[in-house]
Amino acid sequence: MLNFLLASKLTPGNWENLKIALTILWQGLLAIFVVIAIIIGIVYLVNFCTAKAAQAKKKREEAAKSADSDDVTER
Amino acid sequence: MQFLIDTIAQVQWQQVVMWIIGGILIFLAIKKGMEPALLLPMGFGAILVNIPNSAVIGEGGIIQSLFEVGIEASEAMPILLFIGIGAMIDFGPLLANPKMFILGGAAQFGIFVTLILATLIGFSPANAASIAIIGAADGPTAILVAMKLASDYIGPIMVVAYSYMALVPIVQPTVVKLCTTKKERRIKMHYNARQVNKLTRILFPVIVTVVAGLIAPSSLSLVGMLMFGNLIRECGVLGSLSDTAQNAFSNIITLLLGITIAFQMQADQFVQWETLMIMALGLFAFVFDTVGGVMCAKVMNLFSKNKINPMVGAAGISAFPMSARVIEKMGIQEDPSNHLLMHAVGANVSGQIASATIGGLIIGLVKALVVI
Repeated sequence: MLNFLLASKLTPGNWENLKIALTILWQGLLAIFVVIAIIIGIVYLVNFCTAKAAQAKKKREEAAKSADSDDVTER
Repeated sequence: MQFLIDTIAQVQWQQVVMWIIGGILIFLAIKKGMEPALLLPMGFGAILVNIPNSAVIGEGGIIQSLFEVGIEASEAMPILLFIGIGAMIDFGPLLANPKMFILGGAAQFGIFVTLILATLIGFSPANAASIAIIGAADGPTAILVAMKLASDYIGPIMVVAYSYMALVPIVQPTVVKLCTTKKERRIKMHYNARQVNKLTRILFPVIVTVVAGLIAPSSLSLVGMLMFGNLIRECGVLGSLSDTAQNAFSNIITLLLGITIAFQMQADQFVQWETLMIMALGLFAFVFDTVGGVMCAKVMNLFSKNKINPMVGAAGISAFPMSARVIEKMGIQEDPSNHLLMHAVGANVSGQIASATIGGLIIGLVKALVVI
């Protein structure tokens, strides 16, 4: 294995490189989960708002319908 | 008559190895149906660029020119391909169940584990990051990261990335079975088939672009184009453009990309010991991506009333839609009435966004920490 590695351009066990890799590890994982958390939050919010808006629209339509039928009954 | 054997006399054994590799790629594409749209052009290109004095490389050579203009100068080809990918993706299943997004993030775990392992083996941070991104299970992202970080191993990374994507149906079931119990694999998930509002579908690509851009601006070339393609699809007023992006445009870019990246498959860059290591590390990344997704689903089950089938976590890698199909098939094998497809598609498309974001993040982080 050692000969195999020596035949290549690799420098195993470089502590400086490992420190950089570990920094990328924690910063990368943190950033991706922050992005995901924000997107999930916004999607839930948008879903909630659009569902509320749809509900309100349905209520308005029902109210308009019942008002129309009341008018017909009164006449 | 010497001129007839001039070229033959210049053939080196490394070039013969590349012809064989090219032949294997063509065989896998045609006979096994493995990512034929890319492996076939790459295989043919590998033969084309490894003929001594080949006219397609060198000054004015068509493949070299395409490479310099389409990939080296601005990474235009892999980035533009994301418009087509975005136009193909329906984010509906993810929007109906946004917590699937977490699985897409967790299934990128293998990238970071591989980064550490590659660094320990002795690759430089830029090379280790380029190799690790094979775990994104996303060819264009792998190409872009390797190019941006000026990796010494662009050719092997491209070949390994696309080859392992094609091996998802073999790799994932084995790993998933090792990480889960039969009882877990039989967990049924209820799918709430409610229609996702059109406004939500239109807002989603804009929101993702803004959020990803504000936190990881270097991911914008990938995420931005992916979301641009999706906005074209969802806006409802660009049917013709959406159709072009999904079909003709994607096909043209894929065709050119496959043959162009063969420029990096010249024997002197490809036939080296490190290629074998990159193959092993790529497999390692895929395995740990799958493990990350499955384990994340298990952890989520500890806190959730509605249990997630851990197999769905494995679909969080971005090999779309292959991974989702694999999980659906596994679910049916365990219990014929257990249909996991829509959940798996949700995790799968979230993996697409997560891998593009991580690709950009890694470019930004490596460039900030290392002088390339």
